[in-house]
Amino acid sequence: MELDWEFMEETLPKVWAGAGVTMELTLLSLLLALPIGFYLAVIRLHGCKTLQGIVRSYVSFVRGTPIVLQILLLYSLLPSVLNVLVQAMGWQINIFEAVDPFWYAVVVFTINTVALLAEVFRSALNSIPRGQMEAGLAIGLSSLQVYLRVIIPQAMVVAMPSICNITVNLVKGTSLAFLMTVKDIMAIGKIAASFGYNYLEAYIDVFFVYLVLCTIIQIFYHLVEGRIGAFRGKRA
Amino acid sequence: MLMSIRGVSKSFNGAEILKNVNMDIDQGDVVVILGPSGSGKTTFLRCLNFLEQADGGTMEFHGEKLQLASASKQAIADIRKKTAFVFQNYNLFANKTALENVTLGLTAGRGISKREAREIGLEALQKVGMLERAEYYPSQLSGGQQQRVGIARAIAVKPDVILFDEPTSALDPELVGEVLQVMKSLAQEEGITMIVVTHEMKFAQDVATHVVFMADGVVVEEGSAEDIFSHPKEARTRQFLQRILPEQFEMAALI
Repeated sequence: MELDWEFMEETLPKVWAGAGVTMELTLLSLLLALPIGFYLAVIRLHGCKTLQGIVRSYVSFVRGTPIVLQILLLYSLLPSVLNVLVQAMGWQINIFEAVDPFWYAVVVFTINTVALLAEVFRSALNSIPRGQMEAGLAIGLSSLQVYLRVIIPQAMVVAMPSICNITVNLVKGTSLAFLMTVKDIMAIGKIAASFGYNYLEAYIDVFFVYLVLCTIIQIFYHLVEGRIGAFRGKRA
Repeated sequence: MLMSIRGVSKSFNGAEILKNVNMDIDQGDVVVILGPSGSGKTTFLRCLNFLEQADGGTMEFHGEKLQLASASKQAIADIRKKTAFVFQNYNLFANKTALENVTLGLTAGRGISKREAREIGLEALQKVGMLERAEYYPSQLSGGQQQRVGIARAIAVKPDVILFDEPTSALDPELVGEVLQVMKSLAQEEGITMIVVTHEMKFAQDVATHVVFMADGVVVEEGSAEDIFSHPKEARTRQFLQRILPEQFEMAALI
């Protein structure tokens, strides 16, 4: 068996160009999910019983079902629901053509990431000793001030490795966006391969691109963690 | 009278921890609360600062009277701004340097400018001998040093009274002295009013203007250090002191 090096060389830049879509999808989902996930974590910790229950079932629904299923489900469901809404409003828009599938992918991955982040933030906030809040109240701060200046900065450092994990998993998870015809790294690789059945070569290219992306992300998080966690002193 | 506390009661899950505790504190007093563990002394101290909400009782502070069980948020905030608390396990803000720990209550809590807060903070750190460590994070300090910063944080806000909750109990024995020394100088040189829950009998004997012995949620006996240590009236007090200070009691028996 021989690899078609020429094909691999030609395809690599094309696949690499897909990294833009992959990263857009990742960053957009992550940025949307961060505030929502944090808010849900606060609800889990301080909200009323009903809201807590809703958040809990949301999290277990997302965690308890395969992401492939969530993608297929929402990709079948969302456009039809939107279409019904648009029809009801009496607008003359063909929703099936007007909305780029990219946006459905953003919705799916945001929903997914929100649930993961809510759990990460909840445990991170929980890990900060009660005494930090008490000390803050005792010197005359409001509980909101203690949260903003003491608890959240510490919790972020605790959460950072898990957020890195979620980001890397999200980058890899977005490869499933090809199911929604989004042209990310994976989709471009598959399409290129299908012309001449160079599947192995295309997959090696795709493999390489993901590896580089995820390594960059991990280095980035490592640096951020070192910087915002400087107060913990030197760690081995 | 700086502070007059009447009838404090508190239960946790049906267990009565405090039963009708009274206490009067004058300007410049160093009140030391002694007692076996589980006697409610820490809970009492925490009720004064609303870290724990008492079930009943009143507090008169600067002539203003309020119900401990139903104080408004505003009243609680006011009390907290006029008092300070030193914790058993220091509770320094882990993400702040020693100096930032001291100044946070001034800038964020009281709206004092950063520059002024810095000056006050450095002065407070100097009083506890921690000026050279101003830029260190708590993780880089020993327990004794952390507690001294904790005390600096308390004095920086110029409170009317500082509440000490077993400030040396979490320390290695050889670090206890430095913290007690700081507390002693604050009491004797600065005339700072304190309520101290402690097991350090020597500190109580040397520094206390008033000693309160608590057991099972009630004040069993109170008086000057001399009264309590040399002529305890109640059997419960004698029993406790005998366990804590056996040498002294054996000595006294021989004399």
